Amino acid sequence: MTYALPVLVFVMVALATAQALRRAAWWRQGAAAEVAWGPGLLALPRRYLVDVHHVVARDAYASRMHAVVAGGLIVATVLAGLAILPSLGGSRLYWAIVALAFGVTAAGSLLVGARRYPAKPRRLSGGRFQILPFLLLAYALGGLAGALLLALGAASTPALIAALALSGVGGLGLAYEVRRGPMRHAVAGALHLVAHPRPGRFRSRLDTALAPLDLDAARLGAETPADFTWNRLLSYDSCIQCGRCETACPAFAAGQPLNPKRLIQDLVAGMTADEPPYAGSPYPNAREVDPPAAPLARLIGPDARIHPDTLWACTTCRACVEECPMMIEHVDAIVSLRRNETMEFARPPEKAADILSDLRGAGEPGGRALSARTDFAAGLDLPVISARGEADVLLWLGEGAYDLRYGRTLRALVRLMRDAGVDFAVLGAEERDTGDLARRLGDEATYQQLARANVETLGRYRFGRIVTADPHALHALRNEYRVFGGEWTVVHHTALLLELIEAGRLKPGVLGGLSVTYHDPCYLGRYNGETEAPRKVLDLIGASRVEMARSGRRSMCCGGGGGAPISDVAGDRRIPDIRMGQAIETGAAVVAVACPTCTAMLEGVTGVRPDVKDIAELLLASMELGA
Amino acid sequence: MKIVVLLSAGAHPVSSAPVLPRLEAQALRLALALGETTGLHAGPSAAPAADALGHGLGLLTHLATREGDDPIPALVAALKAETPDLVLAGRRGQGGEETGLAPYAVAAALGVTIVADAVALAPGAAPGSLVVEQALPKGARRRLVVRLPALVTVHPGAPAPGAYAYGVARRGRVDTIWGVAGSAAEPNPIAVEERPYRPRPKLMRSAPGTGSAAERLAAATGGMASSGANVLVQPTPDEAARAILEHLRRIGVLAPAVANKPAA
Amino acid sequence: MTRVRRDPRADRRAAQIASLDRPRFDLAGRAADGGPGRPRRNPRTEFAALRVTGAARPRFDRQHRGEGAVAQVVSAASTPNVIVVDAPAFLVAVVPDAPGGRLTQHDRQLFGAARTLAGAHGAVAALVAGEIEGLGAIGADRVAALASTQNYAPDVTAAALASAFAALSPRHLLFPETPDGGDLARRLALLTGEPLFPDVEQLSATSVSRAARGKRVAQRAAPARLMTLGADVVAPYSGPAREGRSEPLPTAEVSAPAITDARRIPADPATTPLTVADFVVSAGNGVTDIEAFRRLAEALGATPGASRVLCDAGLMPRASQVGASGSVLTATCYLALGVAGAPQHLQGVAGCEHVVAVNTDLHAAMIERAGLAIVQDAQLVMPALIAALESERAS
Repeated sequence: MTYALPVLVFVMVALATAQALRRAAWWRQGAAAEVAWGPGLLALPRRYLVDVHHVVARDAYASRMHAVVAGGLIVATVLAGLAILPSLGGSRLYWAIVALAFGVTAAGSLLVGARRYPAKPRRLSGGRFQILPFLLLAYALGGLAGALLLALGAASTPALIAALALSGVGGLGLAYEVRRGPMRHAVAGALHLVAHPRPGRFRSRLDTALAPLDLDAARLGAETPADFTWNRLLSYDSCIQCGRCETACPAFAAGQPLNPKRLIQDLVAGMTADEPPYAGSPYPNAREVDPPAAPLARLIGPDARIHPDTLWACTTCRACVEECPMMIEHVDAIVSLRRNETMEFARPPEKAADILSDLRGAGEPGGRALSARTDFAAGLDLPVISARGEADVLLWLGEGAYDLRYGRTLRALVRLMRDAGVDFAVLGAEERDTGDLARRLGDEATYQQLARANVETLGRYRFGRIVTADPHALHALRNEYRVFGGEWTVVHHTALLLELIEAGRLKPGVLGGLSVTYHDPCYLGRYNGETEAPRKVLDLIGASRVEMARSGRRSMCCGGGGGAPISDVAGDRRIPDIRMGQAIETGAAVVAVACPTCTAMLEGVTGVRPDVKDIAELLLASMELGA
Repeated sequence: MKIVVLLSAGAHPVSSAPVLPRLEAQALRLALALGETTGLHAGPSAAPAADALGHGLGLLTHLATREGDDPIPALVAALKAETPDLVLAGRRGQGGEETGLAPYAVAAALGVTIVADAVALAPGAAPGSLVVEQALPKGARRRLVVRLPALVTVHPGAPAPGAYAYGVARRGRVDTIWGVAGSAAEPNPIAVEERPYRPRPKLMRSAPGTGSAAERLAAATGGMASSGANVLVQPTPDEAARAILEHLRRIGVLAPAVANKPAA
Repeated sequence: MTRVRRDPRADRRAAQIASLDRPRFDLAGRAADGGPGRPRRNPRTEFAALRVTGAARPRFDRQHRGEGAVAQVVSAASTPNVIVVDAPAFLVAVVPDAPGGRLTQHDRQLFGAARTLAGAHGAVAALVAGEIEGLGAIGADRVAALASTQNYAPDVTAAALASAFAALSPRHLLFPETPDGGDLARRLALLTGEPLFPDVEQLSATSVSRAARGKRVAQRAAPARLMTLGADVVAPYSGPAREGRSEPLPTAEVSAPAITDARRIPADPATTPLTVADFVVSAGNGVTDIEAFRRLAEALGATPGASRVLCDAGLMPRASQVGASGSVLTATCYLALGVAGAPQHLQGVAGCEHVVAVNTDLHAAMIERAGLAIVQDAQLVMPALIAALESERAS
């Protein structure tokens, strides 16, 4: 009977392998993708133990629970399997070690169970996940009992058989679950970490630029699950439905019909016909859809699995990606689906049609004259680069320049740069929209047209670096134009201002006692990892800084990204109202912003609320106070 | 129903970049909802009109003409050969002379009925007829039944154009053939002198045409003697209601009250 | 402006009395009336002639003194304020829209334009189908009746106009640049082969101009024979009434209309898109009783709109949102109830001619924008308005 447990382990592994291979057949329906297997495999331990752990550890309980149960399960299973070697299988000490490992697993299983019973948190999925603690416990307790019996030498056959039976039920159940149940995340997750579609995002680096789309491809964007590359399908399978994404998602919080977890599960369910029913939080306030039963059908549509409202509610803020312990790229999936809707089916959000058409025709989403972009600076005498050919700093004005409110910010920035003696110039009427909006709305063709035109324009001039106050423009110019041949040093205005203060070229006064809370723009904090410069500027002008409940890279979106204000999907609340509520909670008198979109969205909140001021405006105010 | 949409080379109202005029994109939307549609463009290049493919047009026939040629003879000849049931066009061009005469010229040359300013189209009850809803000022409509063939121009109040889609445009096709050579476009029969456009102040419609200069000035600046001050601070609700109704009647948006109204 | 300019030297010469030895002058003009001196004016009789008859208290029309001086125009003795042009040098014809027999403001402006073109020697002729009251009062010297069509038949009307055009041979024919007027003008241009100068934006007796190429250029020309006039370009004719004498027209051949049926569908304020609605009543944060608001909109015959806050709260549909991110209005009147007037909202009403605001806050931006501002709770004013409208209806 010594070999019964090892045999069980081998049967389990065989079953798990068989189930994983069946699942792999589904992944292979996806499009081809280039995967660097060697480096991926080598990087796996680090990716798992450092990068994944870094995310998981944000929930301390989950982190401890997972370490105990997963560590115990793997160690116990491997040790039990090794007992097939006679020298080990015959050792009672060895079985005592095996028993210890199973004991740890059992303790972990109890932690798993304690999280789900008597009541599970709302973000966790039910269904098969509710059985998981029992399977784990059965396997661990059975293994523990069996190993203990062997360690004690009490070879009472019926007891051993009972223990083995218990362990078998649990173990085989777990192995069976590898195809369609919770345990899929273990196999798919490990493979996903090896074959991750964005290998650049590990080792605490950022890889947030959208991949350009080949406009000559047979099909633009993803219409069915099979249009995603296979490693993305694999990544969706690694989802453990922990629901951290839905807690982070601003659209979900506002009651708009988007839930990133559900979205990923819908992509998974769209691949196969026999996926178990989803048992987590739904899309809030979602309209009824009538999903076709056939696998690999169209994903988006009122008569498909995902209603278009869900697709267009996303603000592309990447909060879900930032929170996902399995490193799933939700935003990439959303954009792929949007590309298909917009470019193949001509179904962007209703209000987007005119905006995209003006972007194509006038290079500007509002159809305004490009020469009117500098109207905000009437009287400031902005130097235009075409008149000089070169400048130290090229100031990229962005779409905010057309906005009356944001014009104040840009005027403040221009004055600060003048005061500091920065040699700068603007493109003037040659500056087109960066195409960020078109791209996030899925219109990659218009985006590429604008990107090429902008790269061509910028290529004509000589400048040291680009400074912009618009994080969306910053992200496009810094990260997304690279594939079109645009490589420049791109700096956000807050970083430039900090630099000027630190170099002594700007001498800020002190806004004593002004309590300020800083709202991180998604495209600056999460997309570009810049969270410190604005805070340092605030500290240097003597503002007493308080942090909102969510800040830094885990900040919450203002609701203005990804074309969400254009799609205007109905919800229970507005995202900026929620965010302003968080700002009000801090008791701060001023919400400091660093992005035209955030300014517009937060300024749109009605009622009694803190003032919304850009960092540049605050700095200028402090200088005027000091002067 | 065989439909041909006349497409022109428009200019973007702000940037002057060549684009498909919005009205023609709207015409295309009405046409595609109604039946089998092709596009027809006469001009030196198909590029500006080819945007229509992205709005769902399957086939664009491009009648190549020389730069500066009058496109109307080429359009008329092609339409005579094609004999469509319905020809759609925008009510005005965009970026050219913008006189709105071209559809009338085409209709006159073809000898078909022309109906202006459609906002909705539907097949008529009788075969060979079309129900056209025309836009009238201030949201009113007029529903007509028209015998086909006909040429219908489209009003800006028609449903907004569908989105341009790159993928859809890839699926469309442009056939270029030589158009009937027309004479060079006639120079404007009215001798005009051109100068940069300057917006002009509009007439104040509220200002009455009669009355003394002082009265007209008072009317134009809103300081009507009868209402005294134009801000009422904390009136009773009834006073407020009376003031509002009186004001609405004076500016003519509310029908006058029945004659013997109780004296206020 | 209208004063005759004096040449003092000439005056002096004129006052010289023939004399042999040295120059003598009669500077006081004492010579009898009709003598060599300046014409003498009697201000009292002139003033009396300006008196408007029928008014309860004395009223004087001092504005149009110039009109009476035109040589061939004689005031009819019985009705001193009707101007009669007996033998006009030419005609300026006008085709007013007059939907349902009622003249619009645009039609009146058309007569103003025609008067400008007719000057002192021409006559303004109205070409109208059916009976229209008061054409003389708005400036028609002649009225020619076109064959009236039962139904909407622009092709038939255009044919009738073409024959009238041939018969009267006016120097100018003016249409309003409206859907119907613009349509007729273009039909007529094709029927007669006469070039059309459409959508006139500026008009004087000697030149007209219009915008072209996406409002990039202004084209200026001498007044063309066929023109359409944009709205609010010329002030309506405001002089004394004119004769409105009926002018006979040869009957035109009537062909079978191609439009077999036409039915006018009046605008339903409840469903009219906000962007074209004429009268919009809009609710903001100060309105909590949406039901009362809807009833008020219906009672006023106005299209209901709303501020962003109400649309966000789901109280009003998103399509009714007024403002930069909603609909930008072209309404004649905007009645704002409890709307504070955020900048984005004000952008949406920038094109409205009249704004009436009801708001509790005297310093609200909307109060500042309004032509009539009521500082009062919209919730109290709404029922009062409904009650006032209902009592009017009942009486």
